[in-house]
Amino acid sequence: MSELSKDQFKIIGYKEENINKIERPTISYWQDAWRRLKKNPIAMMSIVVLGLLVVLIIVGPYIQNYDYITMNVAKKNQGPTGANWFGTDNLGRDLFARTWVGARASILIAILATGIKLLFGVAYGAAMAHFGGWVDELLMRIIEVINSIPSLLLTILIMMVLGNSFPALLVALSITSWCNTARQVRGMIKQLRESEYIYAAEVLGAGPLRIIFKHYIPNMIGILILDASTAIPSFIFTEAGLSFLGIGLKSPDISLGVLISLGQQSMDFYPYQLLFPCLILCVIVMAFNLLGDGLRDALDPKLRR
Amino acid sequence: MGKYLLRRVLEMVLTLFLIATATFFLLEAVPGDPLAERADKMAPEIRANLYAKYGLDKPMLERYVITMKGICMGDFGESFVYAGQTVQSLIKTRLPVSARLGLQQVILGVGVGLLLGILAAMKRGSVWDYLVIALSVLMISIPHLIFGLLLQRFFAGSLQWFPTIGWPEGSDLWLGGWEYTVLPTLTGCFTYIATYARLLKTSMLDVIGQDYVLTAESKGLSQGRIVRKHILRNSFIPIITQLPMSIAMCITGSFFIESIFSIPGIGQYYVLAVNNQDLSIIMGETVILAAMYIIVLFITDLLYVVVDPRITLTGESK
Repeated sequence: MSELSKDQFKIIGYKEENINKIERPTISYWQDAWRRLKKNPIAMMSIVVLGLLVVLIIVGPYIQNYDYITMNVAKKNQGPTGANWFGTDNLGRDLFARTWVGARASILIAILATGIKLLFGVAYGAAMAHFGGWVDELLMRIIEVINSIPSLLLTILIMMVLGNSFPALLVALSITSWCNTARQVRGMIKQLRESEYIYAAEVLGAGPLRIIFKHYIPNMIGILILDASTAIPSFIFTEAGLSFLGIGLKSPDISLGVLISLGQQSMDFYPYQLLFPCLILCVIVMAFNLLGDGLRDALDPKLRR
Repeated sequence: MGKYLLRRVLEMVLTLFLIATATFFLLEAVPGDPLAERADKMAPEIRANLYAKYGLDKPMLERYVITMKGICMGDFGESFVYAGQTVQSLIKTRLPVSARLGLQQVILGVGVGLLLGILAAMKRGSVWDYLVIALSVLMISIPHLIFGLLLQRFFAGSLQWFPTIGWPEGSDLWLGGWEYTVLPTLTGCFTYIATYARLLKTSMLDVIGQDYVLTAESKGLSQGRIVRKHILRNSFIPIITQLPMSIAMCITGSFFIESIFSIPGIGQYYVLAVNNQDLSIIMGETVILAAMYIIVLFITDLLYVVVDPRITLTGESK
C-alpha cells in the first residue's frame, strides 16, 4: 500500500474562496411564511377575494355614479337590472351603492375595533407580565370579572349608555374583546422571559430595547396576526347582529347589519333586498375565516408537518 | 375539595355583586327619563306618585341600596314600560320557551356534530373527511343571523312548509307545535354541528396516534371495540368540557334567533326592553343571565375534574 500524497488529489468543482459560502439563500421567518401561504390555494383565493372587496368598497359606489342616499320615487323597489345592478330599495335608492357603503362601514368598524383590541390587549398583558405580583393578580381579577358576563350583554349595555353612533359601537365592541389578547400576551411574555436565548442575549449585553424588538415582538407577532384574523370576522358579525337588533347603527347610518335589517322588513315581496347584503356579508366573513386558517398553517411553526 | 368549593362560591357571589353594581351605574348613565313617555300627559300629583312608586324620586345611592336589597330577596322590580310586568313573572313565562329552543338546538347540533366528527376522523383523507371539513367551514362562516333569515325566507316564505314566526304556547309549550320549532332549531344548531365535528375530529386524531391505541390493536381487539372503548372515551374530554360553554352560548344566541322568528323567549324580551329603555327589566335580566353564565362556567371547571382525573382542583400538583 502506497502512501497518499496531497499532489495526487485535485480540487474540482469549487473554488477555494467559496468554501464558506452558503449556497441556499437564508429564508427569514416572513419569507418562509409567505412561501407557505403561496402554496395554499384557498388562502391565496381569499386574499384575491379580499383585495377585490377592498377595491369595491372604495370605488363601488362611484362605478355607476349613484349616490347611496339620493332617493328616486320613480324607481321604488325595482329588482336587479342593468341600470341598478342590485336593484333599488323602498325609497328608490340604489342598492349596489348602498351595499358597498354599508360594507365599508362594517369593515372599517371591524378593523378599527381589532386595532384597539390588539393595542390595549398587548399593553395590558405586557403590564401584567412585567409588574407581576399583586398588580398581576389585580389585573387578572378584572379580566375574570369581565369574562364572567356574556360579552353581548355588556356590549348592549354600553351601546345603551353611549347611543347609536359609530364611536359608541367601537367602544362597545372592543370593551370585552381585549381580554383574550391580554391573557395570551401575558402568557407568552412570561414564557419568553424564562427561555434560554433571552438569557443568552442578556448575558451578551443586549439592551432591553434590542430584546424587545429582536426577540419579544418577532416571537409574538404571528400569534397576534392570527388573533386579528379571527377577530375581524367576528366583529363584522357582531356589528351586523347588533344593527339588526336595532342596537348598533341605525338608519340613516348604514352598515351591512342595517341593510339586512331593512331587507328583512321587505323580504316577502323583494327578497333581493335581503339577499345581496347577506351574500356580501357571508363572502367577507368567509374570506377572512379561510385566510385566517391559511395564516395559522403558515405562521405557527408548531403546526408544520 | 370542600374548601375549594366554598372559595369558588364566595368568588361567584362577589363577581355577581360587582356585575350588578356595574350594571346599575351603567344604566344610571343612560340618557333620558325612562318614565317620560308614560308620565307625559299625567297630572303633576299622579306623576309624582308614579315616580315615587318606582323610587325615582329618591337619590341615586338610596336607589342603589334598594335595588341591591331587592336582588338579594329575589325581587327585581317592576317594568317601567308595562305596568304590572315584573322580572320574576317574565322569567316564569319566558324561560321555558328559551329553554326548549336551547335544548333542541344543543341536542340536534351536538348529536349530528359528533357523528360527523367520528366519520371525518375514521375516514381520514377520504371524500367524507373533506366534505365534513368543508361543511363545517361553511357553517361557521355563515352567521346564524343570515342563516335564519334565509331559512325563513325560503322554507317559510317561498315554500310555505313551516310557519314564518311564532312558537307553541299553552299545552304545547314543551311537546307540540313542532312545525314552529323546526326553522329556529336548525338556525341555531349549525354552529354546534360545525364546532363539535371539528373538535371531535381533532381530539380523535390526537388519541389515534397514542401508544395505547397501538397496544389495543396489537392485542387483536376489534376495530369497533377500539373506537368505542379506547378512542372515543379518551377523546370525549374536550367535548364534555365544551358542552357547558355551548349551553351558555345559547343564552346570547337566542337574542338573534328569537328576534328573527318572533319567539316569546327571554332573549327577545331583553332586546325589546333595550329598545324600549325599560331599565328595571334590563337590570333584572342582566343579573339573571350573568348568574346563569357564571354557574355554567363553574360547572365547566368541575367537569374538567370529573372527566379527567389527571386534573386537580387546586392546581397544586400536576
